[in-house]
Amino acid sequence: MGDFKLRPVFLFSLIILVILFDMPAFAHKVSIFAWVEGDTVYTQSKFSKGKRVKNSSVIVFDSDGNKLLEGKTDDKGEFSFKIAKQTALKVVLKASMGHMAEWKIPFEEINPEAVSNNSKPESDIKDSYETSSRSQTINSGTDLSVLSESHGISKQEIKKLIDESLDRKLSPIMNMLTDSYGGGPGLTEIIGGIGYIFGLVGVAMYFYKPQKKKSQ
Amino acid sequence: MHISEGILSPAILTGGAALTAIGVGIGLKKIDYEEIPNIGILTSGFFVASLIHIPIGPASVHLVLNGMLGLILGWKAFPAILVGLALQALLFQFGGITTLGINTLNMALPAVICYYLFGWGIKKSSGRLIFIITAFASGCCAVLFAGILVGFSLYLNGDAFLPAAKLLVAAHLPVMLIEGVLTATCALFLRKVRPEFLESYYG
Repeated sequence: MGDFKLRPVFLFSLIILVILFDMPAFAHKVSIFAWVEGDTVYTQSKFSKGKRVKNSSVIVFDSDGNKLLEGKTDDKGEFSFKIAKQTALKVVLKASMGHMAEWKIPFEEINPEAVSNNSKPESDIKDSYETSSRSQTINSGTDLSVLSESHGISKQEIKKLIDESLDRKLSPIMNMLTDSYGGGPGLTEIIGGIGYIFGLVGVAMYFYKPQKKKSQ
Repeated sequence: MHISEGILSPAILTGGAALTAIGVGIGLKKIDYEEIPNIGILTSGFFVASLIHIPIGPASVHLVLNGMLGLILGWKAFPAILVGLALQALLFQFGGITTLGINTLNMALPAVICYYLFGWGIKKSSGRLIFIITAFASGCCAVLFAGILVGFSLYLNGDAFLPAAKLLVAAHLPVMLIEGVLTATCALFLRKVRPEFLESYYG
């Protein structure tokens, strides 16, 4: 069985070939990553392992599947838009040559206040300092906005300030997340896949039913 | 070359899957016991080839190696490419499970076409020059045909055919050349070191 001597050599040369090319950027998988900062949605699109997807269309859908807007990614693969409709969004990236990726933004990310304060009437949150002081004269004056008013700053303003500083503090972390998202396959997957194929070869040989040999 | 999930309509996906099933059926029937390890090795070659990225040209593309598989395996390239693509979809998220059928068809059909077009040159009796030219042409044309087929799939889905196909072929020009050279080198290597690897298929 001299055949067996050469097979590892052939496989080994293939693996060497892969390593020689060093795989700086894997192609043929695109990914899009979207996040919310304030009232703007930022998206970043890339091919697996980093190469940015330039000049490709990004389409935004609402939760019912209606198209809201469409745009093109810039040279860094980025595209951002203002939130026009308070709904869960689906961002779809269409790159050339039959590549597509999508990212869903849940409603909680678009408008966290609306979700956490569902039980309260809308006016409580939206009221600013002046309007709430006016409403105090009309209302009996027992709700939260009036309590915060006594400290000279409305609840909404505090929220806005915290949101702003959080966005600022979290932006490096967001950058890290966008960088780590959509990385290419690692060595584990590659070796694992080759292992699967060899396993399948074993299974195929085990279950092979001998057929009548064709006369060549 | 891998079409992502959610782009093509279900009709095209089912059509592709049905044609792939036929091809895989024919391929499986032709497999002999002794060939199974060879097919496995070529499948793993195909599986890792898509990780070899070629930075030349307008887009980011990778090796396909379907020409080499077709030249050596013929119809048996269908099951080999199906397995390779399934693992690429599962482990690398290239393409997808729903597009497995159409993607296999787009890559394996050119392999079989090249087998019939150029297989005659890969024989012990054929001259060295003929051997090299046919192997090179096989590696080259398999990628070209695959690009045209992917363009055609997108055309069936409603895209304009010529721009899509042109873009695909243009992006894969460097891949075609590299695959041609690679296929010729591997075939020559096999002919020299292990002629029975090729002989068993061409008699």
